[in-house]
Amino acid sequence: MDKTNDENPLKVNRRHFFSQLSVGIGSLALGSLLIPDLFKGGPKELADMPLGIPHFAPKAKRVIYLFQAGAPSQLETFDHKPTLRKRMGEDLPDSIRNGQRLTGMTSGQDKFPLMPPTVKFKQHGNSGAWVSDFFPHIAKIADDICIVRSMHTEAINHDPAITFFQTGSQISGRPSMGSWMSYGLGSENKNLPSFVVLTSRGKGNSQGLYSKLWSSGFLDSKHQGVLLRSGKDPVLYLNDPEGISRSDKRHLLDHVSSLNKMHHAETGDDEIESRIAQYEMAYRMQMSVPDVMDISKEPESIIKLYGEDCQVPGTYAANALQARRLAENGVRFIQLYHQGWDQHGNLHNEMAGQAKDVDQASAALVLDLKQRGMLEDTLVIWGGEFGRSNYCQGKFDPTNYGRDHHPRAFSIWMAGGGIKPGLNYGKTDEFGYNIIENPVHINDFHATLMHSLGLDHEQLTYKYQGRRFRLTDVAGNVIKDLLA
Amino acid sequence: MNQKTNWRWIDYLIFGLTIFLVFCIIFDSFLELSAIFAWLGRWHPVILHFPIVLLALSIFLGLSKKNVPQLLLTVTTISALITAISGFFLGAEISVKGDLLLRHQWLGSGVALLTVIWFWILRYELEYKSILKIIQIVLIGLILLTGHFGGMLTHGEDFLTLPSSEESDKIPENPLIYEHIVGRIIKEKCVSCHNPNKKKGQLVMTGLSEILKGGEIGNTIVPTKPEESEMIKRLHLPLENDEHMPPDGKNPLSENEIQILERWITLGALDTLRLAHLSGAEPMRALIKEMMEPDPMNKWENLPKVADSTILNLSSDYINITRVASNSEAIKINAFLSPNHSQKSITDLKRIANNIVELDLSGIPIGPPEAEMMAACTNLEWLELDRTSISDEELDKLRGLKNLRLLKIYKTNVTDKSISVFKSLSNLKSLYLWRTGIGSKALNEFLKERPDLDVDVGIEKKVESFVVVADSIPKT
Repeated sequence: MDKTNDENPLKVNRRHFFSQLSVGIGSLALGSLLIPDLFKGGPKELADMPLGIPHFAPKAKRVIYLFQAGAPSQLETFDHKPTLRKRMGEDLPDSIRNGQRLTGMTSGQDKFPLMPPTVKFKQHGNSGAWVSDFFPHIAKIADDICIVRSMHTEAINHDPAITFFQTGSQISGRPSMGSWMSYGLGSENKNLPSFVVLTSRGKGNSQGLYSKLWSSGFLDSKHQGVLLRSGKDPVLYLNDPEGISRSDKRHLLDHVSSLNKMHHAETGDDEIESRIAQYEMAYRMQMSVPDVMDISKEPESIIKLYGEDCQVPGTYAANALQARRLAENGVRFIQLYHQGWDQHGNLHNEMAGQAKDVDQASAALVLDLKQRGMLEDTLVIWGGEFGRSNYCQGKFDPTNYGRDHHPRAFSIWMAGGGIKPGLNYGKTDEFGYNIIENPVHINDFHATLMHSLGLDHEQLTYKYQGRRFRLTDVAGNVIKDLLA
Repeated sequence: MNQKTNWRWIDYLIFGLTIFLVFCIIFDSFLELSAIFAWLGRWHPVILHFPIVLLALSIFLGLSKKNVPQLLLTVTTISALITAISGFFLGAEISVKGDLLLRHQWLGSGVALLTVIWFWILRYELEYKSILKIIQIVLIGLILLTGHFGGMLTHGEDFLTLPSSEESDKIPENPLIYEHIVGRIIKEKCVSCHNPNKKKGQLVMTGLSEILKGGEIGNTIVPTKPEESEMIKRLHLPLENDEHMPPDGKNPLSENEIQILERWITLGALDTLRLAHLSGAEPMRALIKEMMEPDPMNKWENLPKVADSTILNLSSDYINITRVASNSEAIKINAFLSPNHSQKSITDLKRIANNIVELDLSGIPIGPPEAEMMAACTNLEWLELDRTSISDEELDKLRGLKNLRLLKIYKTNVTDKSISVFKSLSNLKSLYLWRTGIGSKALNEFLKERPDLDVDVGIEKKVESFVVVADSIPKT
């Protein structure tokens, strides 16, 4: 496909017309000499081939992103800071805050009293990783995961921050990272979308999730994330209505498709081709989705591993189990969101609840992937969109405290897919406020993730409105230390 | 003769240039040039091409018994003289000359002087026909040798040697940082100019002691202080800067190589340091590990070509066939069970068997024909046969897959009998045996033979029971 003419819905302008007229005839003749069966035709077209960019052998083939929407506090999860206990209630020194801007929620405060976590921390595994007692199960897999304590971002509010993580830009409109991967790698299983989204919600304070987060932006809409519903029917209207047989459906689709092809021949609009492909995909999904989503065949031991909750549709545990099944069936990018991590108040209780939602199922997912040998080529990521402040929001009250947003340092973990297991990467200062060693920016994170998938983040581009776009835009370095 | 009288000034010019050249040869080491002459010397690499071509032409005419036109030989002679003289101007910039440069100078002067003799013989129509032949043949040899040494001067001494098979000699398991890593980078990127023969900026980089001695300007390397080391400073200059090293047009160092040099200097620029001495958090470790790991794409370079049309023909909605990278002939295949699955769709893959490096047949019915197809995939490195009906008999056919690195056969009926198959897979690194009929006793015995093999038999009991018992999710 010609990517230079994307702004033009008709795909043909004067220059194209003439250049195609002259080159077209010659190249057809040449092409038929070089490729003898060029004109033989057939149901498959070269457009099915994934994008032709010379890259390198990948370590990971797919990603499961366990997004903790709302931003879990790094100080109650993986970043252990005993100094906060010693200096509890003291004002955050200006030399540490260093002019950091504040959100509207704490900008009125004249004091920033340091608040230690009320949850205890212990070291786990051979790597000696500090993990809080909120996460007993994740602690058990400390040697399988790589904890990065030095993530940082520029955004300070949920929407721009989560948009930044998903699309590489704080301003919405760019393609989601799952769409970029689908665009760069193509699909593994043509009967399922290559980018699937599953959402769940905890009892904690939640922020909204919008479909723009998994939008394909300016990329072809076939790369868009498909949100699977959490209810009984993951995809609505997938079953044939009464009185319509599968062959009737086939006839209908063939007719619609021939009409669409006529329209495409007239206008040359690529989106029509996408639409045809999506009808076909939906037809095949009628067979594949019910099978993939049906967990009734999972043995008792697996149900127990993820927690009994995984039998309740719409829970995080159920989504985690689905994620494994989708990964097994060749979905490239599986994005989970668990809402409810925005603890501006009542932090201890809310986080305990949120942690219970995700702890066992996250650990189970990693263990389950490992025993299936899927951790070799599946990258699992767990984390939120930014960190939380080391000081109390509002009045200092150790019995019921909250934390405001903090973009300068936060923790995430990754597992499998060519990432070094058992690594503790990056350090923050004793206040857990600034990064003092090995910072990892979101752009670096994207570059590293793409590297493990065999994509060069500087080469995977798409030209739109006159310039080439990348997921990492004009920044980002692959953090080689994270790679196994 | 008319011609002679008309062209008298040419004779004077050639005579004058010859005298000047002889003067240059004799007083070579005493030459002190003003900037303009030094600048003229820089033209040497450009103009030297003229005499080479013109001489080749003249010699060809001469040896094939044709008339060498007077005008051609005149231009040839003048260009040879100018080239030789400009060469001395260029050489004068280097204060201490190595063997290579001296040889190049002597041979180059020889070419010019012989050409002059040829010119005089022809000019005055002397009867030395046989001598002319000898001169022409000697000239061929001299030109070749001069060019050879000149090429070595500009492109490095090993530039003109035949590519040797052991060129990419492997970095040993626990390399010495200087000898195997840093030294190699310097040898590749610096030594072509900084060697005993060329000594650009008075700096020789062929050994650690010479590097530490430094060159004209300051300290090339200040151990533990990369920011004070001239070498690192110049590596970081913008490419447009004249001081940037290596100079514009030469092969620059990669970001990784610069970082390795920096870290090596920070750690004291020692030649005794080994990789194993480095701590886990040392950034140089990852960089060196990366250098040591050969690019996986290299080993697939010699695979037979596969046409895109072949790939398209064999693939379907349920069989996904892709190249490992778009510029590679290595193929990976992922098959899913179709409602109307046919055995043929799998056995047909035999057509590209040699190219398949990754094969995922999880959940696909496996019988003897499929096993035969897999057995033909000699370059196979990654094989997923989990949740299939494969038995010991079929697995037995896969003994020959010497490149196999990973094998997944969990949830199959494979038993202890197959352990002998694992034994024959000498390159196997990961083996997934969860929920198979293989007993722990036989497996442990096998593992004693292959301690480096990573065998997974499911979640560790201790961890599993913890996860299962401590069901942390609140019941709804």
